Amino acid sequence: MFVVCDCLLQVITICFAVGTIFIPIGLFSLQVSQSVLEIVDRYDVECVPPSFRSNKLEYIKDSSIPKNCSRYLQVNKHMKAPIYIYYQLDNYYQNHRRYVKSRSDKQLLYGLKYNYTGSCSPEDANNGLPIVPCGLIAWSLFNDTYSFFHGADALKVNRKNIAWESDRNHKFGKHVYPFNFQNGSLIGGALLDPAIPLSDQEDLIVWMRTAALPSFHKLYGRIEEDLHADEILEVKILNNYNTYSFGGRKKLVLSTSSWLGGHNNFIGIAYISIGSSFIFIALVFMLLHVKNPRPYGDTTNISWTWTGISS
Amino acid sequence: MMNSMKIPSKRSTLEKKLDKLILALFSVLFCMCLLGAIGSGIFINRKYYYLRFDSSEKQFDPDNRFVVAVLTMFTLITLYSPIIPISLYVSVEMIKFIQSTQFINNDLCMYHAESSTPALARTSNLNEELGQVEYIFSDKTGTLTRNLMEFFKCSIGGEVYGTGVSEIEMGTAQRSGGKIEVQKATNAALEKGFNFDDARLMRGAWRNEPNPDFCKEFFRCLAICHTVLPEGDDSPEKIRYQAASPDEAALVTAAKNFGFFFYKRSPTTIYVRESHVEKMGKVQDVPYEILNVLEFNSTRKRQSVVCCYPDGRLVLYCKGADSVIYERLADGNNDLKRTTREHLEQFGAAGLRTLCLAYRDLSSDSYENWNEKYIQAKSSLRDREKKLDEVAELIEKDLVLIGCTAIEDKLQEGVPACIETLSRAGIKIWVLTGDKLETAINIAYACKLISNNMKQFIISSETDAIREVEDRGDQVELARFMKETVKNELKRCHEEVQQYLCSASGPKLALVIDGKCLMYALDPSLRVMLLNMSLYCSSVVCCRVSPLQKAQVTSLVRKGAQRITLSIGDGANDVSMIQAAHVGVGISGQEGMQAVMASDFAIAQFRFLTDLLLVHGRWSYARICKVVTYFFYKNLTFTLTQFWFTFSTGFSGQRFYDDWFQSLFNVIFTALPVIIIGLFDKDVNAALSKKYPELYKEGIRNTFFKWRVVAAWAFFAIYQSLIFYYFVIASSTSGMNSSGKMFGLWDVSTMAFTCVVVTVNFRLLMMCNTITRWHHISVGGSILAWFIFVFIYSGVVLPKEQENIYFVIYVLMSTLYFYVTLLLVPVAALFCDFVYLGFQRWFFPYDYQIVQEIHRHEPDNSRIGLLEIGNDNLSPDEARSYAIMQLPGQKSKHTGFAFDSPGYESFFASQAGVYVPQKAWDVARRASMRTRPKTPKN
Repeated sequence: MFVVCDCLLQVITICFAVGTIFIPIGLFSLQVSQSVLEIVDRYDVECVPPSFRSNKLEYIKDSSIPKNCSRYLQVNKHMKAPIYIYYQLDNYYQNHRRYVKSRSDKQLLYGLKYNYTGSCSPEDANNGLPIVPCGLIAWSLFNDTYSFFHGADALKVNRKNIAWESDRNHKFGKHVYPFNFQNGSLIGGALLDPAIPLSDQEDLIVWMRTAALPSFHKLYGRIEEDLHADEILEVKILNNYNTYSFGGRKKLVLSTSSWLGGHNNFIGIAYISIGSSFIFIALVFMLLHVKNPRPYGDTTNISWTWTGISS
Repeated sequence: MMNSMKIPSKRSTLEKKLDKLILALFSVLFCMCLLGAIGSGIFINRKYYYLRFDSSEKQFDPDNRFVVAVLTMFTLITLYSPIIPISLYVSVEMIKFIQSTQFINNDLCMYHAESSTPALARTSNLNEELGQVEYIFSDKTGTLTRNLMEFFKCSIGGEVYGTGVSEIEMGTAQRSGGKIEVQKATNAALEKGFNFDDARLMRGAWRNEPNPDFCKEFFRCLAICHTVLPEGDDSPEKIRYQAASPDEAALVTAAKNFGFFFYKRSPTTIYVRESHVEKMGKVQDVPYEILNVLEFNSTRKRQSVVCCYPDGRLVLYCKGADSVIYERLADGNNDLKRTTREHLEQFGAAGLRTLCLAYRDLSSDSYENWNEKYIQAKSSLRDREKKLDEVAELIEKDLVLIGCTAIEDKLQEGVPACIETLSRAGIKIWVLTGDKLETAINIAYACKLISNNMKQFIISSETDAIREVEDRGDQVELARFMKETVKNELKRCHEEVQQYLCSASGPKLALVIDGKCLMYALDPSLRVMLLNMSLYCSSVVCCRVSPLQKAQVTSLVRKGAQRITLSIGDGANDVSMIQAAHVGVGISGQEGMQAVMASDFAIAQFRFLTDLLLVHGRWSYARICKVVTYFFYKNLTFTLTQFWFTFSTGFSGQRFYDDWFQSLFNVIFTALPVIIIGLFDKDVNAALSKKYPELYKEGIRNTFFKWRVVAAWAFFAIYQSLIFYYFVIASSTSGMNSSGKMFGLWDVSTMAFTCVVVTVNFRLLMMCNTITRWHHISVGGSILAWFIFVFIYSGVVLPKEQENIYFVIYVLMSTLYFYVTLLLVPVAALFCDFVYLGFQRWFFPYDYQIVQEIHRHEPDNSRIGLLEIGNDNLSPDEARSYAIMQLPGQKSKHTGFAFDSPGYESFFASQAGVYVPQKAWDVARRASMRTRPKTPKN
């Protein structure tokens, strides 16, 4: 970089070059990200009946209380299909060491044929029988459900193809069926239909790709028709999942998509700021050079008294 | 043996500082773990029901937070352990090994063609130490000088013979301004050991001199009084003399040239073929019966032979140091003594080594008497040496002075230039010698160590006051007086030094001190003053010092001043000094192997120090500094990303990266480029390194491995790790492609790891001074290795329970996000480094950078030019290596080490499919490794 011919010019050129490449990329991706529309609705508090607001834990643990809840979402701008439905959990440590390791990929692929499931402890076996799928991750599967209504018409929600194809094809067995699942005294989350093989249980597959941060989105499904501006959507939620004991938040996110993914300004802003920093530095260098030029091989900067080159 | 010491194992100063750095890293590691452990103790809570904290597993038992914290601490220690760069030591060892075996040992510039001796690095520990040397302690004989003794002048019966002008006299004449006509004899150095020309003595002409009898005795003394063995044919041309010291051989050779040819020795007889003795042109073989030999040792400082002429005359011939001979002369003939004394001083001033010759006629009675005592002493069982010495005293008295000889010990080639270069490089040179004060000062002048515009401080024991006390013979009194004198002298000099320091442009200072005074000055009470004072002096000469004192002076500077010292010497008496210094250099070739066996580096000539220090030492220092700081940076960066992740996992110690990524990060993905930089990085080429010796000062000041430099690297490591972690995390919170699917932990971590590998490798390119295709190959190869690895690793099913990375890279690379982030994160991470380097280079440039700029348009062919100059006297092997260097295809656009290290040409040649034969000096080195017979030295 500075090596071959260390000219200030080279540094300035590099700075300008990076700046001129980065700023357009940044502007472009920012614009793409801005074009993505998002509706976010936090429902974990609102869905608790007012009488239970002071003791949400009792509400969520009491299975006799119905967990139905309706939310109304206003569509501000026209949203083009497909519209993705995400649920977002905050303060939920899917990346905790105890949680991450509590699974058995071999069992997910081979089912009961694979016996060694020590890593799944404490959810590896119940009543002497192995659990499929074993482990804390599967046990705590998210079980809120959403259904969308447009006035009285139900909106069709496509819940197929929400997991990565590689997970479905390579990590979850096509002939592995849930077994002895959620039969214990403690029920962590959703139940699984024992008649459907794991490779088709896409909610489970999505859930089991553990998130990197304690605040994360997971894909729930797709609405495959446009939503028009100023429409009101009714969402009927079954608010089953307990986030109240640890103060986690639950949100429902509706989002369109772009070729760069969902709504995230970060990349665009980062590109723009890095690019403009480079431009700025280039200007500073130029200014400093004009005010305080240093010729190449300027011997006044050398630390010893220069006496010329003696042969 | 009294002077020998335990052989120390040497580690370089840089490595010791590296240990401190590692220690600092350990404490950082501990702090990080402690922080994490405390966090985990606080975090753990039953409310996170999905984590099922219960007492079944101790590490997640919310009822005992302390145990949780302690166990998490251990988890975190293993998690953060990559912060300690273990592979650094292995890499540095490897780099140093190649540096010493390939570069130092094979450098043509340090190959002495005459003796066919290459430089030899006997240890690979100290390469970078060579780049930081501030003090050189040098022996004189054989190191600064050639140890090729030549009979140069003599004084016989008060008359000086010999027309030569010694190199030192020439130097003296130059410095006094007067020019002398150098009437160099056309046939100088008639043969090895004899460089004498005076028509008055040669070919029997001495018969016409005023004192022909003195001359005769002089020549006989030379021919008879010695312990030399003749070898080969007994013709003057073919005979070779085997002598204990080169001086003796020179003297016998001189006798031969004067017409007293010693050609045969039997156990009792010496045969001398004498010419022109009876009358001009007559040659006769005379056998002299040797009755006794009183051998030389360092206390007697003389050697005597009692011989019996064929006609029955009994004579004792004696030769020895002037002081001991003068004590034993018969009374009378003071004129001769005085003139000879004057001649001795004159010779000494010319830098010549002098010996006095004397004889004594013995009567057969007194001899028989003495011989009985001698035989008794010789057969005694106890204290034989001492008794023999005592008996010798009885007969070595009432001697008749014949004259004296002067032998020249020539300076080695290029020594003054080398010393000048080294002193420009900020290196201070001390000469420690066993020679006399005058000789030492003269050599120092000749080597340009001392010049007339330097202020000299001379602390000598040869003053009248001390002699007076000495004569009284009271040893206790003498010691007390000496100590007092030395103390006063030191104080006086020290005060003067302070005055000179106060004045802005004082002259350079030089200190000359002799062994006796040094003994007292090294006393603990005076040591500090001596050290303070000598550190202000640009050159110091210690004369008449013992081997042990040489070592003491070395350790005085090493331990007292904490500076890096180098000792160079050739003989057994330099061994302790060589071992005491940080770096010991032995001169190989001339005198025995003890010095070489004790040394760390062996070179054939003193002048090769320039190459060894200014080129190899400086490069090695700069390279090792780069390697160490780079390792520090990359491991810190890598571990810190892991550390930031810990904060968002509830301090559970969850890995951010897969096991294999973490293990292979140091071993494969970032290993090779740093080794390439440790081998090939070159700020300026060898010729410029020597042209600008001042560049070496950067090493003395330790510019490249200060705590400040380390702190800068640490800052960039922290900055970069934050970028890696937060940029990747923040950009991955939404859906990742048009299908709206989300990434999991392992996708994000693989993304971050890719960014780390790419950035860290590019950062290496930014710190290179030369970028050759080897850099491109290694950096590109490392990044490629990562991708190949991850393609395979995430493509196959391993017999593990958890396949975290399975298919991850394919998922990642199917999104545009991957490419956008891969462009963004490394550039953002390197932004600070780029700006810093730009500012540093432009506004606070290092010296080497300015030199780079001055010579930026010159192609790097200086070394080739050097070779061409001396092309006509290249040996066949050198010519071949030169030819290989000229191979087509290797010259183009390659600016790496190839042209500077002849050793490397075989590598490139083999790349080009050319067979390179084993070099002659490999064989020579093996031969020279055999220990030669020990040869004592005066």
